[in-house]
Amino acid sequence: MRKYFVLVSIVLATVVIAYITTYLRALGPIGLDTRYLAKLFLMLTYNPVYRELTAMSPEAVTSIVWDFRGVDTLYETVVFYMAIIAALTIYRGVSYSSIWGGYGLSLIVRVVTKLLIPINIAIAVSIAAHGHLTPGGGFQAGAVLAVVSVLLAVTYSASSFIKLGVSLSKAVALRSAGLLAIALVVFTPIVFSALTGVQTYIMQNYVKIDSSFSFPTHVWNQLISGTLIWLNLAEFLAVSFGFFIIFMLLSLREEVVREQIGEKDEH
Amino acid sequence: MIEELVRYVGLVLVVAGCLVNLIGAIGLNRFKNFYLRLHAATVSTIGGTFYPLVGLALISLTMSELGELRFFMGGSLVVAAFILLMLAPAGSHALARATHRAKISKPEPVIADHLAEDRGG
Repeated sequence: MRKYFVLVSIVLATVVIAYITTYLRALGPIGLDTRYLAKLFLMLTYNPVYRELTAMSPEAVTSIVWDFRGVDTLYETVVFYMAIIAALTIYRGVSYSSIWGGYGLSLIVRVVTKLLIPINIAIAVSIAAHGHLTPGGGFQAGAVLAVVSVLLAVTYSASSFIKLGVSLSKAVALRSAGLLAIALVVFTPIVFSALTGVQTYIMQNYVKIDSSFSFPTHVWNQLISGTLIWLNLAEFLAVSFGFFIIFMLLSLREEVVREQIGEKDEH
Repeated sequence: MIEELVRYVGLVLVVAGCLVNLIGAIGLNRFKNFYLRLHAATVSTIGGTFYPLVGLALISLTMSELGELRFFMGGSLVVAAFILLMLAPAGSHALARATHRAKISKPEPVIADHLAEDRGG
């Protein structure tokens, strides 16, 4: 009876939502035509003619994320940064060096992981460096690289971080370096303006109608799309080590953390 | 001539992969316990994913209308197939080993269980 009720409500909800979106046109008219906004984005993502409007990147998503709505993405990055600061605050005073050393998984899995990790790093770097040309970008590449830390923690035990010389403070420093690099790219036009007196805007990429400042679109005949490649690489650094910190903290055992914080087990 | 041949080899690999996937799915549905089902799952990861990826790589290498991009596509497919070939056995090994150690599922029908003998079980 209960199963039947769930099934009926799912079918009913689907029908109602389909009716609202199609017949009542809640999402606007439906047709095969491309909408005006989509046409605008498709025309302007890579357009060497309208230099003051284009993002000069064949990848539409990256041009929207880091150019057309760049400040929005900047705030998203800051939110992610704050979330990890909150996690670090909860775990304050916990030393990673006293972690219990385990044996990890069997030899077969460990050997395969050892072979996989360089491939994983190479894929992550290529996703980040090609972010302005192919689907992907800094955040995705960071998530791919962060998988390495999970693989290490699961197959070699969490104490492998200490053996490899990776500590929490180093990861925090590298992540801050990534965010600092983003800030550097964002404020370069302002610094340029202060030095030369040319009018510029924050997070400006190319020339605008009333500003002659522009990042280079090509280096050695390779398309780098102005700020996009730098922002992608910096975001890659910030996100990968952000996730790295989270996974390092999550791989700590609860008893160890409680003991170090000095909290008595009440149960 | 040689291009046609390579393309047909690729197509045969893709079709074979589909059949193996079907067999693996039937096995996953019909087999009785964890170890047997794990075997069926591994059949469809290697036979049903590795071979079609290699087949697609061969097909994409022969498609001259793709231009230079065909090497990019073929190369990524071969890399993906290689990674899968490494990972699938290691993953099923880890699953089987963990299950055996935790004694969650009983292996049957069993002819010889050397792992249990080594552990004195």
